[in-house]
Amino acid sequence: MLRYLRTRQAKLTPILLLSPALLTMLFVVALPLLFSLYTSLTPYRLTRPETIETFIGLRNYMRLFSDPDFWSAFGRTILFLAIALNVEFLLGLGIALLINRITWGQRTLRTIMMFPMMFSPILVGFQFKFIFNDNIGILNNALQSLGITDQAIPWLVDAKLAMFSILFAEIWMSTSVFAILLLAGLFAMPRDPLEAAKVDGCNSWQVFRHITLPFIMPFAFIAMTIRSLDVARAYDIVSVMTGGGPAGRTELLWTLIARTGYENTRMGQANAMAYVSTILSIAFTYFFFTKLVAARRYMGGAE
Amino acid sequence: MSRALKNRLRATALWFATFLLMIVISVPGLWVVLSGFRPNREILAKPPVWIPEKLTLNNFAKIFGFGQDQVAIPVLEYFRNSLVIATTSTLIALIIGMAGGYAFARFRFRFKNTWFLGLMLFRTVPGIALSLPVFMLWSRLGIIDTKLGLIIVYVSLNVPFTIWLIDGFFRQIPGSLSEAAQVDGCTRWQAFWRIEFPLARSGIAAAGVFAFLTSWNEFALASQLTRSTDSKTLPVGLMDFTAQFTIDWAGMSAMAFIIIVPALILTFIVQKHLIAGLTFGGVKG
Amino acid sequence: MAGIKLENVTKAYGKLEVVHGIDLEIAHNEFVVLVGPSGCGKSTTLRMIAGLEEITGGVVRIGDRVVNELPPRKRNISMVFQNYALYPHMNVRDNLGFGLKIAGHTAAVIEERVAEAADILGLSELLDRIPAELSGGQRQRVAMGRAIVRHPDAFLFDEPLSNLDAKLRVQMRAEIKKLHAKVATTVVYVTHDQVEAMTLADRIVVMKDGYIEQIGTPMDVFNHPVSTFVASFIGSPPMNLIPATISDGTVRFTDGTALPVPNRLKDLVREGQEVVFGIRADDITPIGHGIHEARETTEIELEVDLAELLGSETLIYSRLAGQEVQCKMFDPRDLTPGERLTFRLSLDKAHIFDAASLQSVRAH
Repeated sequence: MLRYLRTRQAKLTPILLLSPALLTMLFVVALPLLFSLYTSLTPYRLTRPETIETFIGLRNYMRLFSDPDFWSAFGRTILFLAIALNVEFLLGLGIALLINRITWGQRTLRTIMMFPMMFSPILVGFQFKFIFNDNIGILNNALQSLGITDQAIPWLVDAKLAMFSILFAEIWMSTSVFAILLLAGLFAMPRDPLEAAKVDGCNSWQVFRHITLPFIMPFAFIAMTIRSLDVARAYDIVSVMTGGGPAGRTELLWTLIARTGYENTRMGQANAMAYVSTILSIAFTYFFFTKLVAARRYMGGAE
Repeated sequence: MSRALKNRLRATALWFATFLLMIVISVPGLWVVLSGFRPNREILAKPPVWIPEKLTLNNFAKIFGFGQDQVAIPVLEYFRNSLVIATTSTLIALIIGMAGGYAFARFRFRFKNTWFLGLMLFRTVPGIALSLPVFMLWSRLGIIDTKLGLIIVYVSLNVPFTIWLIDGFFRQIPGSLSEAAQVDGCTRWQAFWRIEFPLARSGIAAAGVFAFLTSWNEFALASQLTRSTDSKTLPVGLMDFTAQFTIDWAGMSAMAFIIIVPALILTFIVQKHLIAGLTFGGVKG
Repeated sequence: MAGIKLENVTKAYGKLEVVHGIDLEIAHNEFVVLVGPSGCGKSTTLRMIAGLEEITGGVVRIGDRVVNELPPRKRNISMVFQNYALYPHMNVRDNLGFGLKIAGHTAAVIEERVAEAADILGLSELLDRIPAELSGGQRQRVAMGRAIVRHPDAFLFDEPLSNLDAKLRVQMRAEIKKLHAKVATTVVYVTHDQVEAMTLADRIVVMKDGYIEQIGTPMDVFNHPVSTFVASFIGSPPMNLIPATISDGTVRFTDGTALPVPNRLKDLVREGQEVVFGIRADDITPIGHGIHEARETTEIELEVDLAELLGSETLIYSRLAGQEVQCKMFDPRDLTPGERLTFRLSLDKAHIFDAASLQSVRAH
């Protein structure tokens, strides 16, 4: 009997240790998500509480999928993420390689690089709204003072420029995640394979392409996973910089959700959209996490 | 071209690229901070004033409610709310995360990777998407616009990532240390507190700072779940500087300075451990 | 008085059984070495004695207590780990005194015992250093010191020397032996290195695939291996093992070469039996280059394939019935590959194993 209890206890310990985490997540995330799943099947409006009891099946989703505004926001979000993540990766890689070659002040540079990561996204939004302001922004002021242009460039008013400005802010904030992790990867890189490749006759591009890059890819996947956990932080930036404007031309899924739910009080419809965005995020994270798991399997082989 | 010249050129290019990089990274932040110390008149001036004539603390006096022309923005309350909410939620998340991270690092159980991924996926729900049902539920529970309501949400926001980091740090510590301590006469609980915890301490601190900053900076959820000075946090308070068509840039910059400084100091203290934690947790499966 | 006794001890992970019913009795103050290739269950057995692995079946006694249900801290044992497991955040003094402190001894007692252990192990100068500032050998000594301060009933060593370089390993091996002489205690020592087993043990326990293959003194295990596994695992170079058939009172190899059956084994083999003939390199030597007086010998001509000079002796690689055979030449002269030599084979040192069971014919 005693032995039986001891075995049980050994098996139960990890469950016991994990249970606070699981309970928190269930209560604060899973339960609300179930609730929002339900409300997404009703025409619920905040202004008319009784509507929560009307069950309308998948009508919200039907309406969503036939709504061109939703699809353009959806497409724009995917495009936004694709551009942002790729540029962040490439820039981050460039920065990591650059700093890796610098011999003095490396640690200071690394610390400075981390700072944008720690800025509140809402603050980043305001900061760039300030900088890109067509009238008093430092960017236009600088361009005018240098005589490059004498006009006030409407960074946040013109649709294309506004998208660019938002992407700039997002990339400014998040590139360092990639840079820092890839730099950590470069530091962890053993010297022997590099030297072996050089002796084998590889030029520096080939060494980079066939030795360095595969080695640091797991680190890139960590960065991707971390980034995909909170890509939706871009909501803060967009809502401050353009609010989805001009005329919905910078509307992302997340700002559309906020507008539908809180401004138009159509909670049911907004929840349906929120579900789509949640599934999108989960898909991104899942994709990168499995890549990470696969990559670290062969990392284990190298040790 | 001689080899020496080539090397010289390369070094110069390297230096120039680094310089440019630092400018792009630091100027936006510095410009906002600088604007916090300049009068609104100078910020809005046309043609622009590049070199400030004098720096002033008026903006800070104004938002804190000193001086004649005060702005009615309760920055002190916001600061206190932010501090209370971020600190409390961080401590709770750390305790929960330490238990969870230890379980992942030290025990073998079935579907471990699946559990881990499951926890991470909870974290991935966009704040704005989560805010809708949480808003509705919290209204019913009567904890909308309270610190408690926000603390609960932030704990759950921080737990998955805290587990990721702490798991990584515990895995760096050989399991045989705990075993040696147990042979030396410790219970598992004593072995944890006397051996494993002290060794993971800096990593746990880094995880704490990360959790703190996430709470400190969060906007999407806070903006929907708070209403009054009872619970509004600094990022939400920033919105007070915006009117329909105008923004008080000077006041906002001053407040931005207040939000940034603690974040930067904390980051600076733990940056080394943070990088280590992210990489351990990720690479060593 | 604290011996250790294992009765039919098993260990299973889920359905997979890795230790299959081990019986072992270790006397008070005896130095027992568990040796075997990796995965043979030796470390698992040790960890079950320590209480770090749960015992699936059977009984483990330390002294006269059954310890199956006791956690490690209540077993009054101490253990030296493969990676030393020194507490990195404590200096040597605190590392040594940690167990005593946990047990609630007074500062004076701790200081005295730490000083005593430090003195035995030559650590007195290093007490204020932290583990990161120590060399491999010093860390090893601290780990041993941590084990002895508590005056435990038994020391458990889990491959303690495998992280050291070859030279240091030899040196530490000698120190462990000396330590056991100074601090008489029951020792269970796990290693995969048969040289360590031979040099340290009072008794060797050879393990394979979760079973005990043979228990005996080093001499016993070396001279009378019960199976081809023990024969090839213990001793360096491994014993030559050549398949053969018993025919007309001789050991006949596949190429037709025949050797007489050693006298002492004559009654143990039967005509037509498939066997494996075993002989150590030391016991096939070119005539005039042997070392010991053999009572019963035979001669055989072999061709030199390769000669490895080891200094005072030369290792000769040759072939017998298509099998590689290693022979030794003491007091060596230069050899050229292809040279044919007549060897003297000491039959009284030869072994015969049954080809089906791979057990020594003497075992039956």
